[in-house]
Amino acid sequence: MRRLPVYLLLDCSGSMFGEPIEAVKNGVQVLVSTLRQDPYALETAYLSIITFDSSARQASPLTELAAFQQPTLQASGCTALGEALTLVSQCADNEVVKTTPEKKGDWKPLVFIMTDGEPTDDLNKGIAEFNKRKWGMVVACAAGSGANTDTLKKITECVVSLDTADSATIKAFFKWVSASVSSGSMKVEETGVEANSLSELPPPPPEVNIVI
Amino acid sequence: MDRQQRHTRRRRGPHEGLDRMLGEAMRQAGIPSDRRQAFLTEAFGRLWNEIKEERMNQRIITENNIRNLGIRLPNGTVNKDYTAGFTLPNGEISAPRLDGADELGLELVYSPEDGKCQITGRPHTPGDFTLTLRYRTVEGEPESELRLPIAFNPDPRSLWRNIPTDPKVIYFKPDSATAYVKVEAGPDGTPRKDIVAASQRGRSHAQEGRPRDDHFLVEHCDRSDWYVLAVADGAGSAKFSRKGSEVACDTAVEYCLKRIDDNPPFEQAIRDYAADRANTDRRHALTQFVYDIVLRGAQAAHKAVSKLADLESDTRVKDFATTLMFAICKRFDFGWFVASFWVGDGAMCLISENGDIKLLGTPDEGEFSGQTRFLTMPEIFRDRNVYNRLKILIEPDFQKLLLMTDGVSDPMFETDRNLNDPAKWRELLDRLAHGFPADGIGGVDLDDDNEKAADQLLGWLDFWSPGNHDDRTIAILY
Repeated sequence: MRRLPVYLLLDCSGSMFGEPIEAVKNGVQVLVSTLRQDPYALETAYLSIITFDSSARQASPLTELAAFQQPTLQASGCTALGEALTLVSQCADNEVVKTTPEKKGDWKPLVFIMTDGEPTDDLNKGIAEFNKRKWGMVVACAAGSGANTDTLKKITECVVSLDTADSATIKAFFKWVSASVSSGSMKVEETGVEANSLSELPPPPPEVNIVI
Repeated sequence: MDRQQRHTRRRRGPHEGLDRMLGEAMRQAGIPSDRRQAFLTEAFGRLWNEIKEERMNQRIITENNIRNLGIRLPNGTVNKDYTAGFTLPNGEISAPRLDGADELGLELVYSPEDGKCQITGRPHTPGDFTLTLRYRTVEGEPESELRLPIAFNPDPRSLWRNIPTDPKVIYFKPDSATAYVKVEAGPDGTPRKDIVAASQRGRSHAQEGRPRDDHFLVEHCDRSDWYVLAVADGAGSAKFSRKGSEVACDTAVEYCLKRIDDNPPFEQAIRDYAADRANTDRRHALTQFVYDIVLRGAQAAHKAVSKLADLESDTRVKDFATTLMFAICKRFDFGWFVASFWVGDGAMCLISENGDIKLLGTPDEGEFSGQTRFLTMPEIFRDRNVYNRLKILIEPDFQKLLLMTDGVSDPMFETDRNLNDPAKWRELLDRLAHGFPADGIGGVDLDDDNEKAADQLLGWLDFWSPGNHDDRTIAILY
């Protein structure tokens, strides 16, 4: 079966401490519970969480939705977004099945990045690694005023922003992510084509602004 | 109280020893003997507090130990047996129980000998829940508890809805179709092959109440004994492909029928070629007939589908995009003649008498799925390689000729390369015969003149394959 890998890159730096990190935990929970109700996603979507603070780590390896368990998320340290991009590239190398004549590989991974601040490490190095791989939809989300959308534009064309990093807004973002994964898993099944631009995703809720 | 104790008490009085010790202790502490009661109360009170604190500390230590075990319950699935296990330190705790388990259809079994805990059961309700593990640590301390989140997935199959297609939708077609072409034994009593075909709307379409895009048409001419089978898969991304696939099948079959039903020169060319296959002239003569009948049949289908776009405003040929495969077959005294055309994905294959597989062409699949070619693409007939889409076969006899859309071939073969793997075909035939017993899907009795095979085949098309929910169509000449 062709899986649809979904990588969530979540900022767990010190500035996320308190309400934002709690909202992210809750958001991941909402994402997983919602997707479990969707027959396409339940069958095809595989989820991985990569967190980044002073360094990046894969908190959850690529796991089928049915078996996915929320990892422990804690906020501390700086914002090693560059390292996170390098790590997701390595994880995809190891986890995403490539097509061979005998076996159909996975769909191109969807990547959702959420950060509330400026990267504190070498972002360009991470971008260089990241760009060497083929990705499906890559969406970067600037949560609150501390994040720089221009920086995120270097990673992907598809950048959205949240005015504030409060619970309701972050929850709205995660709901939109789950709707996007749902529609993505349906689209690959239906047409065999992966989404490539924001216009192919469900319209974002009012809390999520598309950055042009 | 046993006899020994009673004996002791009688001899020395009940508290004689204690009294002496207490008196000694009070003397040493300089406490007057009349404060005896107050002294006792305070001493015991302190002692008791110390014991209580020790117990509480012990309980907290144990609770921390249990928390540090990091017990996590794996997710379950509704209507599937659930088991999870963990081990508690049996020296530190006793009498564990799991609050909330009952309501979720679970049970905790604890074995005090080794501390092993086993949670078993069959969840019935999907969702996220929290179980509470309660256990005793030290006597006199309140029960301890640990909250354990647990999630049950819905049965994925229960999530698929089956919304009928609105009959008022433009180019409506029924959500499923079957056909059985029963050809009774010839005058000499030898049984003749029959055709069975079925087409089922995919779950992805049923989920949205959208129409089936696949189509088939199977025919047999009583007079000339020709069989014609056609299967088409309307492109998922094209809005009226259901009509495209229908028109493609109808046109190709009709075109061929008209030209083969009474065509002695064609049949003579077949006989001539079969008698001397090394003869180039004879091969060319036959090939010319096949071009005129089969290739032109495909072209006619292409044109007919293209015309559809002219009928409606705001539609383009692309909106009717469809694949097409079809075959004409007839039994001669020397054996069977089969000629076919194939554009797009799916699979068309002849299983010979000895089980060899003969693919009637190569599926058009690009490097990535979904990049197939369609009958409706203008370049198909301009390409010099269009002749490679034609296939001529002469076989002494065969078991089956199968035509199927990718809704069937994808889950069965996964890749095009695997279409060349005889083991995969044997597996498909085995699945056809025996169904999928674990999923309650029955097999198809491909016996001569078994008209029930049509409904059996339609039921068989409901087989479960994760990630494969396209329309499914299969036609079998056997």
